[in-house]
Amino acid sequence: MKIVIMGCGRVGAELASMLDQEGHDVTILDVNPGAFRRLPPVYGGKREVGNGIDQDVLARIGVEKADAFVAVTQGDNRNVMAAQMAKHIFGVLRVVCRIYDPIREEIYHMLGLETISPTKVGARLLKEALEREPATPPKAGE
Amino acid sequence: MYVIVVGAGKVGYYLAKELVDQGHEVLVIEKDAAKAERIAEELGDISLMGDGCEASIMEMAGFGRADMVISVTGDDEDNLVVCQMAKVKFNVPRSMARINNPKNEEIFRKLGIDSTVSATTAILAQIEQELPTHPLIKLLRLKGGGLEIVEVKVPEDSAVVGRRVGDIVLPPQSLIALVIDENGEPRVPGGDTVVQAGDEVVAVTRTENEDALRGALTAPTAYGPYGPIDAQKR
Amino acid sequence: MDFSTNQIKQILVPVDGSQASLDALALACLLARQNKGKVYAVYVIEVARTLPLDAELNPETAKGEEILARAEQVADSLEFEITTEILKARDAGPAVVDDAIEHVVGGILVGVEYKRPLGEFQLGRTSQYILRNAPCQVMICRSAAGSAGE
Repeated sequence: MKIVIMGCGRVGAELASMLDQEGHDVTILDVNPGAFRRLPPVYGGKREVGNGIDQDVLARIGVEKADAFVAVTQGDNRNVMAAQMAKHIFGVLRVVCRIYDPIREEIYHMLGLETISPTKVGARLLKEALEREPATPPKAGE
Repeated sequence: MYVIVVGAGKVGYYLAKELVDQGHEVLVIEKDAAKAERIAEELGDISLMGDGCEASIMEMAGFGRADMVISVTGDDEDNLVVCQMAKVKFNVPRSMARINNPKNEEIFRKLGIDSTVSATTAILAQIEQELPTHPLIKLLRLKGGGLEIVEVKVPEDSAVVGRRVGDIVLPPQSLIALVIDENGEPRVPGGDTVVQAGDEVVAVTRTENEDALRGALTAPTAYGPYGPIDAQKR
Repeated sequence: MDFSTNQIKQILVPVDGSQASLDALALACLLARQNKGKVYAVYVIEVARTLPLDAELNPETAKGEEILARAEQVADSLEFEITTEILKARDAGPAVVDDAIEHVVGGILVGVEYKRPLGEFQLGRTSQYILRNAPCQVMICRSAAGSAGE
């Protein structure tokens, strides 16, 4: 599968290297070339410098041929815009978009984007962890 | 009308000022405290400090009763989100966005933003109108009636070169008023006046026939009243 | 001797129903009586932007009228007559300052509670705005520590 990832932060870099390891054709895009330092040395995919909300940049890196597009920059709005461009202009079938703000996430989910809100997911996971039976504390002297 | 403006840069500031002068109820939303304060100081209590893309701020600002939302920040992605949220979450009847990268007009249109304004596009259009190499220049738009006076330079390869003015087929409601030769000598043409390459033709036409007139005087193939004769099955 | 406080004839007092604002009003009455001046007691209804500015806000108006009635009682007890006003605005601060400019008052007297919501004393948003923006003299009358709101 040809996958384009926009944003080489911690999540973007991690996801890129995971997909690369699994043998996918991965391209990672970031405005800042320094961001690629987060990629592990074994990463074999492409690195592209450019702004993901610039149609020319998306065309240059071949988004129209991608099977999937993931937007994980720090900016919710940038992710939303790039994801919608990938979907509506370049016709990418699978588009996933990270949106921190849960309210915006709900709205864009309603508008047909596949969205993930780390805020919502993170809070839920933390709550679940708190509600689990506490692990038995280590006995004194152990 | 209740108009919400997002972004208090220069565009937002002057826009808000004009809208207030026109008697509208205006609110400007701005992230930057200093800019928000400047609006409040100079235009009155019509500014709200906060992120205009944040639903809670939108709620507080009264997006629910806004007649129009205009997003004029320097970031196209923010303008897009403001307008989309205004439409989808708050059912604002009209939304307008400033676009910085003219290429983004397409995505905004596809996503249903009512109208977009791009300074870049506007300047490009102005250049097109003012560049002397352009074959058609609007000289004057007559008030009412949809008529305008235009100037067309006749290129060397035009089909009308060497033809009599009376023989040139013009679009409806168009008239050649003046022919100026390469030396700058104007002539009021009669039916027998022959058009030369390099002549500047001043004509009266209807706005919607402007393209047809340009075609009639500049295209290498002969033009009928509704386009190239070749294309018309007669 | 010449004191500016001696010259103030017209005083505007924003009242919100708090004891501090009524104390400030009483002080303004004494001052104006001595200077043979006038006192405006002003109550501002802050209208949320979700509503138009001219929206009918009956409960808020009733509350304002009730507070201004109390203000009048305070003035009566000092045998002084005041003018009361209800204003509708998005924010009380600019409304008070604009009103002060309109009536060309010599001073605004603001009563503030001694409150320490976050462990230290803080001046409220409206008082801060008035202090920063009013063209006339501004007097702050802070209630004694531990008197109210603590």
